[in-house]
Amino acid sequence: MQRSLSFEIFRYTAIALFLALSLIPTAWMLSMAFKPIAEWQSSGVDLTWWPNNPTLDNFRFIFGHSSSDLIVALDRTAGRPILASLLSASFGTAIAMTAGTAAAYGLSRFGFGGNLPLALIQLRLFPPMAVMIPVMIMWAFLGLIDTWWGLALIYGIVTLPFAFWLMKTFFDDMPREIEDAALVEGCSRWRVFLRVTLPMMRPALASSALFVFILNWSDYLIALLLTTRDWVTIPVYMASLSSSMTGQLYGAKAALGLIAAVPPVIMGIAIQKQLVRGLTFGALKE
Amino acid sequence: MASISFRNVTKRFGDVTAVDDVSFDIRDNAFFCLFGPPLSGKSTILKLILGLEKPDAGEILIDGRPVTGIGPAQRNVAMVFQNLALFPHMSALDNIRFPLVERRVAPDKIAARVAEVCEKLHIGHILHKPPAQLSGGERQRVAIARALVRDPVAYLMDDPISALDARLREQTRVELRRIQQEMGKTLVYVTHDQEEAMSVADGMAVFQAGRICQTGTPEDIYRHPNSTYVAGMLGAPAMNVVPMALAASLQVQGPQGADSLGVRPENLRVAPGEGARITEVEPLGGFTTISVDLAGQSLRATLRGQPRFTTGQPVALSVDAGRAHFFDTSGAALAAH
Repeated sequence: MQRSLSFEIFRYTAIALFLALSLIPTAWMLSMAFKPIAEWQSSGVDLTWWPNNPTLDNFRFIFGHSSSDLIVALDRTAGRPILASLLSASFGTAIAMTAGTAAAYGLSRFGFGGNLPLALIQLRLFPPMAVMIPVMIMWAFLGLIDTWWGLALIYGIVTLPFAFWLMKTFFDDMPREIEDAALVEGCSRWRVFLRVTLPMMRPALASSALFVFILNWSDYLIALLLTTRDWVTIPVYMASLSSSMTGQLYGAKAALGLIAAVPPVIMGIAIQKQLVRGLTFGALKE
Repeated sequence: MASISFRNVTKRFGDVTAVDDVSFDIRDNAFFCLFGPPLSGKSTILKLILGLEKPDAGEILIDGRPVTGIGPAQRNVAMVFQNLALFPHMSALDNIRFPLVERRVAPDKIAARVAEVCEKLHIGHILHKPPAQLSGGERQRVAIARALVRDPVAYLMDDPISALDARLREQTRVELRRIQQEMGKTLVYVTHDQEEAMSVADGMAVFQAGRICQTGTPEDIYRHPNSTYVAGMLGAPAMNVVPMALAASLQVQGPQGADSLGVRPENLRVAPGEGARITEVEPLGGFTTISVDLAGQSLRATLRGQPRFTTGQPVALSVDAGRAHFFDTSGAALAAH
């Protein structure tokens, strides 16, 4: 298709503008993570886009090494919160995906559960804040406060509706004939699910899991209420990075933010190939 | 090696009656066609045979035994689905051997069976590819191979060659016929293409809205359709059906109670004369299709070769002796000719 030059210019300008708007905060974080304190604390005319004297001091600092020009003592280092986030978000995702996939499959294929989809939507309509106090009490009773498994459990419950709804649309879209074929060719229902449905659903599982993981990974509210010390997660820990002398430790926060961005990015790259391939490409005649 | 029988089978989906009190018998080793327009219940019949759907009423027998309560895997019926339903995450080879692997057949036996079937269908060279990289015709063959690879009691095929181009379709259906005869198995074949049904089947059932209108050999149904509906379904161009009032102009006398008269295009004689007028001449090589206007009714005649008729020419019509069909007011065929 032939487009006019002016349209092309307009198009690319619009794209560039949009990209700039969405990428500038990320770029700023990247830049700040490598700035020494003098640079990220400066204001006005002294501000620079890129660090003049790039340093890894911010990273060293959050992992407990004292820095020459930042005389602040941290009561804990970033290692434990990173571990807490990884454990709670991963296991939470595993819980939501396992239960959500099973529920979605049952409902999509056999109509089990009747009003389940609606019930799950209602669960989401509820403001999380309203249920968090009862959850805190229950978790305290069960001894789950300030544990990564307690956090993983509530993450699994909270993100279950998303996993369920995403997987249900994927299952609804999957042609039934493919499962029928496997049934006819000698599989039991369970074998069909394992041998045909799940492998075919790999892209769907991957993209849903990524979505759920990011939700869990970036949670602040729940972790703030359910953890106190041993198992605080990255967002909670990040909020605590400040001192009475220097105020907010933006350099340290930026460094931690950069680290926090790594797992989702790695996951995204890992499943990219799955995402573009589509579900049933080649299974059916057009 | 099995006959298949339906005894008053009814299947409903919600308010829709997909199969309505259907009874028929498919004898062992038959190439049996289920023929009808889309959504007339043909595919549901196949699902009922496979055990993917359960009848609401009636009974299905395979090899004389009721199969109620027997699951799809145990019925041992092979199927080629309309959309082929290949497994997209497996190579062609894994697709083909899937039924044998699932049935825990010994690996050396699997290899031998796969080799045999692949040779029959000429697909040995594409086995390593996933379905996405195969052409339409190749996918087709892989799907058929997956059905042929095991030793079922019957094969079911749901319009399996509709996506192929005309030439490949003709080739494939002849090949299917040959394979069916070599294997000596019952084959139930669903199609909405009358040419396909006529050319390969040795038995067929004509469907309308979940009911069977007529069963018999294609020849028999073509020669003696029991209703105007069946008459219209088979044959191209379709049978001419005109009111009995026009019988005299066709030099035909009908029996008592006849309401309409049916004449196949090849049984309509066209000669120079009076009474009708040619509106169109379509020479098609071996034969010519002529459209004529008879008192406002358009009729079509198929004539051998390229007869010398021109558009607008007045002609006289007649019908081959004993080849007129008569129908009553409900459209049902009358016995006397």
